[in-house]
Amino acid sequence: MNDEPATTIYFDGKPTAAQAGDTVASALYRAGKRIFSRSFKYHRPRGLLCAAGRCPNCLVNVDGTPNVRACTEPVRAGMQVRHQNASPSLERDWLAVAERFDWLMPVGFYYKTFTHPTAWRFVEPLIRRVAGLGEVAAHPPAASHDTPGYEHRYLHTDVAIIGGGPTGIAAAISAAQQGRRVTLVDDQPALGGHLRYAGRSADGDAAAETVQALTAQLATLPSVQVLTSATCLGLYEGHLLGIVQQDRAPQSPVRERLVQLRAAEVVVATGAYETPLVFENNDLPGVMLSSAVLRLVNMHGIQPGEQAVVVGDGARAAPVVACLQAAGTRIAAVVPTAAVIAARGTKSVTGINTTAQDIPCDLIVVCGDRVPDAGLVMQAGGTVVWDEQRAAYVVGSLPAHVTAVGDVTGSTVDAPAAALAGHAAARQKRSFVCLCEDVTTKDIDAAIAEGFDQIETLKRYTTVTMGPCQGKMCQLASIAVCAQRTGKTIGQTGRTTSRPPTAPVSLGALAGVRHHPVKRTPMHQKHDELGCVWMDMSDWQRPLYYGAADAKQQAVEAEYWAVRKRVGVIDLSTLGKLEVYGADAPKLLDKVYTNRLSDLRVGASRYSVICDDAGIILDDGTISRLATDRFFITTTTGNIEFVQQWLEWWLVATDWRVHITNVTGGLAAVNVAGPRARDTLSKLAERSLGRRAFRYMRCRQAEVAGVPSIMLRIGFVGETGWELHFPAEYGEHMWDAILDAGQEFDIRPFGVEAQRLLRLEKRHLIVGVDTDATSNVLEADMAWVAKLDKDDFIGKAATLQAQQRAPREQLVGFEMRDAVVPEDGAALVLDGRPVGRVTSARYSPVNGKAVGLAWVSQGLATAGQILTMPVRGRLARAQIVADPFYDPAGKKLRA
Amino acid sequence: MSFLLPCPNCGERSVYEFRFGGEVKQRPPPDAPDDAWQRYSYAAANVAGIQQEWWYHTLGCRQWLVAQRNTLTNEVLETAVPGAAPGTATQGDEREERPV
Repeated sequence: MNDEPATTIYFDGKPTAAQAGDTVASALYRAGKRIFSRSFKYHRPRGLLCAAGRCPNCLVNVDGTPNVRACTEPVRAGMQVRHQNASPSLERDWLAVAERFDWLMPVGFYYKTFTHPTAWRFVEPLIRRVAGLGEVAAHPPAASHDTPGYEHRYLHTDVAIIGGGPTGIAAAISAAQQGRRVTLVDDQPALGGHLRYAGRSADGDAAAETVQALTAQLATLPSVQVLTSATCLGLYEGHLLGIVQQDRAPQSPVRERLVQLRAAEVVVATGAYETPLVFENNDLPGVMLSSAVLRLVNMHGIQPGEQAVVVGDGARAAPVVACLQAAGTRIAAVVPTAAVIAARGTKSVTGINTTAQDIPCDLIVVCGDRVPDAGLVMQAGGTVVWDEQRAAYVVGSLPAHVTAVGDVTGSTVDAPAAALAGHAAARQKRSFVCLCEDVTTKDIDAAIAEGFDQIETLKRYTTVTMGPCQGKMCQLASIAVCAQRTGKTIGQTGRTTSRPPTAPVSLGALAGVRHHPVKRTPMHQKHDELGCVWMDMSDWQRPLYYGAADAKQQAVEAEYWAVRKRVGVIDLSTLGKLEVYGADAPKLLDKVYTNRLSDLRVGASRYSVICDDAGIILDDGTISRLATDRFFITTTTGNIEFVQQWLEWWLVATDWRVHITNVTGGLAAVNVAGPRARDTLSKLAERSLGRRAFRYMRCRQAEVAGVPSIMLRIGFVGETGWELHFPAEYGEHMWDAILDAGQEFDIRPFGVEAQRLLRLEKRHLIVGVDTDATSNVLEADMAWVAKLDKDDFIGKAATLQAQQRAPREQLVGFEMRDAVVPEDGAALVLDGRPVGRVTSARYSPVNGKAVGLAWVSQGLATAGQILTMPVRGRLARAQIVADPFYDPAGKKLRA
Repeated sequence: MSFLLPCPNCGERSVYEFRFGGEVKQRPPPDAPDDAWQRYSYAAANVAGIQQEWWYHTLGCRQWLVAQRNTLTNEVLETAVPGAAPGTATQGDEREERPV
């Protein structure tokens, strides 16, 4: 503590002095602020209640971040704090009128109004305006753009201890002394737990000394890692702890860090926390938990009020009474819990009504029930049971490798029976059980009267325990009220399930830093220099076309005509590439691919698809036989991992001699295609590319531009052309060499968009674009690719079955009758009914009209059939065509 | 889901390092009746208890494994590289339809 004003913060623009060690809430409270928020539904004023980050009462916006708990947020110089959910200010909130219309918002409001669509349409905008919490800024502050703000961290430990109170510290010391690695996690900025605010009295000094001694001992143990300001959100399978840690270092670019801590053993030492009592106006600013008073006085040196009434039974009241007296607050009275009737006041406490008398005061200190913070115990699979004798929750069973120590076990916690009775007796409509959601005892009575008398249904109907405090403040009270009204014990009533997160967590912390892996081809720089527009294809970046962003159509058409009339080159390095070696490679490929590959001659290539055993097309590509026992396979860009794993899977537990190597990254690839492709490559290749010397669907290994290459004569784009696969290191060299050689033929690089158009004219499909997770080879019009006379292949049985029945749909080619281009995905309609969908459609320059591929219902898939589809709001006509739209006989391909 | 899988090659690892490959099933012989193929492709035993299933260690040894997992508790009792040790893994054609 420091009496010097250390810094200045701003609340709604107004400067407020803050001292070192202050939280936002303590600084504002010292400056006289009493109303910290307005309630969710009724906009009632709310003040500091728990001062420990558990209740919903001090949620504010800090530097643009909504729903920050003022009572745990340390002050920083110049921080801008703004109020939430009130207009124009917390003190004068016109939305407080909502409270007068509470009869419009009965319990189970959503369930009741959602059933009337008309009513809901009227009510919804109003609710959106009135109810709620903070607002997320539409445009977050610039600082959060420059710095990530969030990060993820992965830690491993032998023993994870959650809770840095005296018991947790002692457990950490003991485990470390046994030679184990320990991670001690505490949600407060410093270790010590309840001893941190236990006080400066004779007792308090002892407490401070205890903390000091324990932390000093801890510091001597190198195997202990301490995480402070770190809230454990959940305990998951395999002892994985989700922890959100605030980073308070002034220069740190990280605001919150999600720590995933894997532990061999977990010790839950989360302690117990105090909960409010239920009486009329128990939510008024000035009604404060005794632990909050201890924190304000002992940690921040604040006198919390002038005249206090302490509500508490027996010895529970003594420490806070002593603390208040030391701070200079007069104690007007100490009253037993059962005697409390109501707090008086409108915007803050002015007095208290008890069964004996009315006492004026500006502070009502509530010694509430202490509840074990046992959420993690239950998430671990342990049980928490009600001990009728001691009137307290205690930990029942625990799974292996999870232990609970200290107050969380319930062994030191008693909920005074009188306090519980107090909850139950309160029947006024301003007696709040749940502060987050403004649920009163009257609401709970109404819900029970409507039949929601089981704790789990009561919770869902009233939303009690479902607000930002996650039930911390209201779970016990709601159970006590439910038990009393239904004539059951608390044990019989049971308790609602505890799920992660145990405390609210920002989505940013869960999302972490945005990592987007990018793969670049060896010729990436060349494309960049040529001024291409990039597209993402799985993790790869590929040129979509070369030219200005606003001149797509001209650029694509120019690239298209270069390939059709002269020569073009495209970077295919992203294709998946596998080498399959071994004596049994033909056997494996015959089994996995639908086409027959065992009879493929050395030096030949073949197209095939892969199906699963349901006959669904998974991938396609070319298989080239480089030697008797060596095959070179291409897969689609995004499927390489899948195809490799799939091939390996079919090898598992066989004695087949096959080895599969993924050579995708090792090889660059280009396709040189067009009527002048032969002229271009002949200048570079060491072997003849003559019509007879190098036929269509043949493969050779030869040097091109001095680089050893695999040359495949295949024709995805429908022209004479070669795919070259060569060591990635020579990517730029090869690219330059080809462009040089093709210069005299006016060669042009082309991108993915031109390639898609060129292949569409040939009706070459793209797996995953023109097929989906229901497409088989028969329906995709590729029956020829499945060799049903093979003994077996994956998908053979399903293909045979499919042959026996009429296809549901068929993939057909169509050309437009009207001068429009439908969008990919457009619906086909007939008499107002959907009968199919377009998978790909483009304007075909060579045909002078749009062409495409579409799935159509069985019965319509005949050449000449007219299809209609909505294009820009009007029905356009198309006609099914049997043949490819370009070079149907494949003469150019083979030329 | 955050359980640990003991990989026979790499040791105990987080499940996020692996890709799930489905239940271990017996692939019917090529001439099996249609309904056997239908069951194989579309039906899952979906055992509430210990199940034999395929896992691929994507971020580790990049091998297919067969694990015995209790589907109620996510406890993995045993893993093995199929064919590596007699009796611990399936032989021949016991395979499952792959999720795509």
